[in-house]
Amino acid sequence: MAEPQPSSISEGAADPHAPTGTAEDRKAAAALESLDAQEDGGEKKDVDNKALDKAMKGLNVKDKKGEEKKIVKVEAADVALLVAELELSKQKATELLRGNDGDAVKAMAAFVTT
Amino acid sequence: MPQPLPSKEQTLFRSLVKHYEGKQYKKGLKAAEQILRKHPNHGDTQAMKALILNSQNQGDEAFTLCKLALKNDMKSHICWHVYGLLWRSVKNYEEAIKAYKFALRIEPNSLNILRDLALLQCQIRDYEGYIESRRKMMQERPQLRQNWTALAVAYHLAGNFAEAENILKTYEETLKQTPPKTDLEHSEATLYKNTIIAESGDTERALKHLDEVVRNSLDRTAALELRAKYLLKLGRSQEAEKAYRTLLDRNSEYRAYFDELEKTLGLSRSNAADIEKLKELYESYANKNERNDAARRIPLDFLKGDAFKTAVDQYLRRKLNKGVPSTFPNIKSLYRDPEKKAVIEELVLGYASDKQTNGSAQGEVNGDTSDRFEQSVLYFLAQHYNYVRSRDLKKANEYIDRLLEKDPKSVDYNQTKARIYKHAGDVQKASETINHARELDERDRYINTKCAKYQLRNNENENALNTMSKFTRNETVGGPLGDLHDMQCMWYLIEDGEAYVRQQKWGLALKRFTAIADIFDVWHEDQFDFHSFSLRKGQIRAYIDMVRWEDHLRDHPFFTRAAVQAVKIYLKLADNPRLSNADQTDLDKLDPVERKKAEKKAKKEREKAEKAEAEKKAAAAAKATAKGDDGETKKEDTDPSGEKLLQTKEPLEAALRFLRPMLELSPLNLEAQIVGFEVHLKREKYLLALKCLQSAQEIEPENPKLHEQSVRFRQAISKLSEPLPSQVSQVIKESFTTPSTDADLEAFNNDFLEKHSQSASHLQSAYNVRYLLDNSSKSQNEEDLKKILDLSDVTIEQAEAGLALLSEWKSDEEVKDDYRAKAASRWSGATVFKK
Repeated sequence: MAEPQPSSISEGAADPHAPTGTAEDRKAAAALESLDAQEDGGEKKDVDNKALDKAMKGLNVKDKKGEEKKIVKVEAADVALLVAELELSKQKATELLRGNDGDAVKAMAAFVTT
Repeated sequence: MPQPLPSKEQTLFRSLVKHYEGKQYKKGLKAAEQILRKHPNHGDTQAMKALILNSQNQGDEAFTLCKLALKNDMKSHICWHVYGLLWRSVKNYEEAIKAYKFALRIEPNSLNILRDLALLQCQIRDYEGYIESRRKMMQERPQLRQNWTALAVAYHLAGNFAEAENILKTYEETLKQTPPKTDLEHSEATLYKNTIIAESGDTERALKHLDEVVRNSLDRTAALELRAKYLLKLGRSQEAEKAYRTLLDRNSEYRAYFDELEKTLGLSRSNAADIEKLKELYESYANKNERNDAARRIPLDFLKGDAFKTAVDQYLRRKLNKGVPSTFPNIKSLYRDPEKKAVIEELVLGYASDKQTNGSAQGEVNGDTSDRFEQSVLYFLAQHYNYVRSRDLKKANEYIDRLLEKDPKSVDYNQTKARIYKHAGDVQKASETINHARELDERDRYINTKCAKYQLRNNENENALNTMSKFTRNETVGGPLGDLHDMQCMWYLIEDGEAYVRQQKWGLALKRFTAIADIFDVWHEDQFDFHSFSLRKGQIRAYIDMVRWEDHLRDHPFFTRAAVQAVKIYLKLADNPRLSNADQTDLDKLDPVERKKAEKKAKKEREKAEKAEAEKKAAAAAKATAKGDDGETKKEDTDPSGEKLLQTKEPLEAALRFLRPMLELSPLNLEAQIVGFEVHLKREKYLLALKCLQSAQEIEPENPKLHEQSVRFRQAISKLSEPLPSQVSQVIKESFTTPSTDADLEAFNNDFLEKHSQSASHLQSAYNVRYLLDNSSKSQNEEDLKKILDLSDVTIEQAEAGLALLSEWKSDEEVKDDYRAKAASRWSGATVFKK
């Protein structure tokens, strides 16, 4: 952790990079970036670009296992009641109702006792 | 519409960007002005100018300008990006994310925007979004290992272990050769991968993987610890034993290794047959190293009877002979077992009377040593009789006085003397004595700090700050107090606040507790930099630990302590909004006409004072904008005494800032539930109040405050002004059963009274309930409350609580004086009962 940082790099709460517009700016920024990376030993000479490309393609997003959610009907009025009484977010209130067969009394009782 | 610039201005714009990045704001502004002179509506330039203004603390101007820039150039990703940066700087992350996303839509492959977006998503724990952004960043620059690691981190935090591991593995497979051993990033990444495998629950595979990579990992300790852990978990005891023994050879004072070693050997401390084996185990380690403490101290925890006596005798003589000052604190946890406490007391008293042998087990005679031994023994006894489980303050005083006679200049002895006063309730003398101790060694920061604390306990806020100032950076903006805030010296802020509570200076108290909550916000904010920094440095495991720690940051005891106090003040404010006005509280007693007059007068005076204050401030502002002596600028605190905090229109809503994190993160804290009930009951959120009640019930079913609150809840719901929604009342009916719906509350309370007739706190609660149910019982209650002071084990704190109860009942001064006199006769030293 002790290697000295170049003076142009300030650690921590640095100002964010300027959004760069022109192609030249982007080039300059990229140069700056790679400078940064070399300092940290990030980009290595022996990186096999072909292999990386291949690897990346192999990573294609896998089918998300669609979690089989029980289809429970949730009344909007019940959600509103839970939001008002229990001060939950709408999303949480819906989840809670779903977990309790859409029954507001059951959901609220579960909330209160746990 | 993109607005192209002529080439001269383009060059200027580039230099503007460069100046901004190099923090040369003045030059940057100049360049921006130059462009705007010719192209006054150039959006990108305006946006950049706004960014610079924002860096110069001109946030409002920046926002106005940036909105103008957006109007001029809706299709510029720079404008949108800057807009996001401005929102970020005021910590409105949702808006910032929206703006970044707009920018990305225009310029989908900009790494800068992607990075800024990703960091924010991680900060607000939007892991799904974070995965997406990280994936895009990786696809833009797959050559950078940290981009792969970052994507894995995103999956890991989202709980998708398999994908996280897969990402890391895929990258590793592209490496032509194994990186050299010195490659820290690689070493950390492999260990990180290993922890992911372990967290996914597949210990077997984690162990196998660890064995493959262990040779290349630079963090030896972590690798060894992980290996031992896996072996133990897999039940491979013999190998695990060996692994833990290796670790112990590296560090034989680390208790956790010993605990695990016991487990690998299948030994249990509760099993009498195992005790002998455990004893041998620790002896073998003790014999290995003459100076090892852990192997000698741990057996005292499980040994019993004669074996304990021999062992503790040896241990104590050793430490006392050496004159180790922390001997007592190191031993006192054993006092939980009354038998052990008795044995230790007997032994040490024996050392004190038995001077012939000079206490040394080997009969060693050496003038200097013997004196040291004697002093250590006396010091031990003084602390022993001062300790809560073995308290006898008279004896403690005798011992400490003997020591002070021998060595009146000892800081330790004087400090203990002060502590004895404190336990007797005499905070005044305690503060004086510890100040004397401090003066004996003014360069000792420890005693200096202790002294400030004792002064605060005695409500000497100014003296305490003065004491602290001897070790603070006083040229900071705001002086010593400013530095204590900057250094996040939380214990001081809390004690300071509590001292103000005792003096009923609610504004200042609230100010301090709010400062604590602010510090926690800062801690939460601080993690932002690490989302990028840790990746750059490759320290992923520590980073993951930090992110998880941040998620339950506010379960810290300091937060709870400040929060409970702050909520209590807000509750008082809700009951009595006049509290915010210190001079008005006394006016209650006057008749209405006079009160109006007095109020008018007070108002005039206040206005005058405010005006003078404002003028003074304006003058000061003209001189310098809150510049510290060290040239650092800081925003001036416009409300140093917390008056504005007190003037809140909605104290209960304000209390939620403190209450919510407590109830969510420290649900097992009884006090949090108790104040939570009060807040929610007042807000008429009956279900939330009931939840607090139920949680308290689970923590401590017989808690006296819980009894009070249960009765009050039953009362509250039986006489509601308007009925609750039917579902709500059904839930209450089903879940809230004690006391039952038709219970005779008085009888219910009497049962409670009888059941706990010997406990001061329970009796106080029962009397309070009796008063609440029927306030004609007031004089009876006052009488009974006084009788509590006769109970044998009532404490000073409980007696104080009784006094507070009398104030709540608005009892006559005479009654209170009577109570005070009686308490004072029992605790002659205690300052709280003095008039």
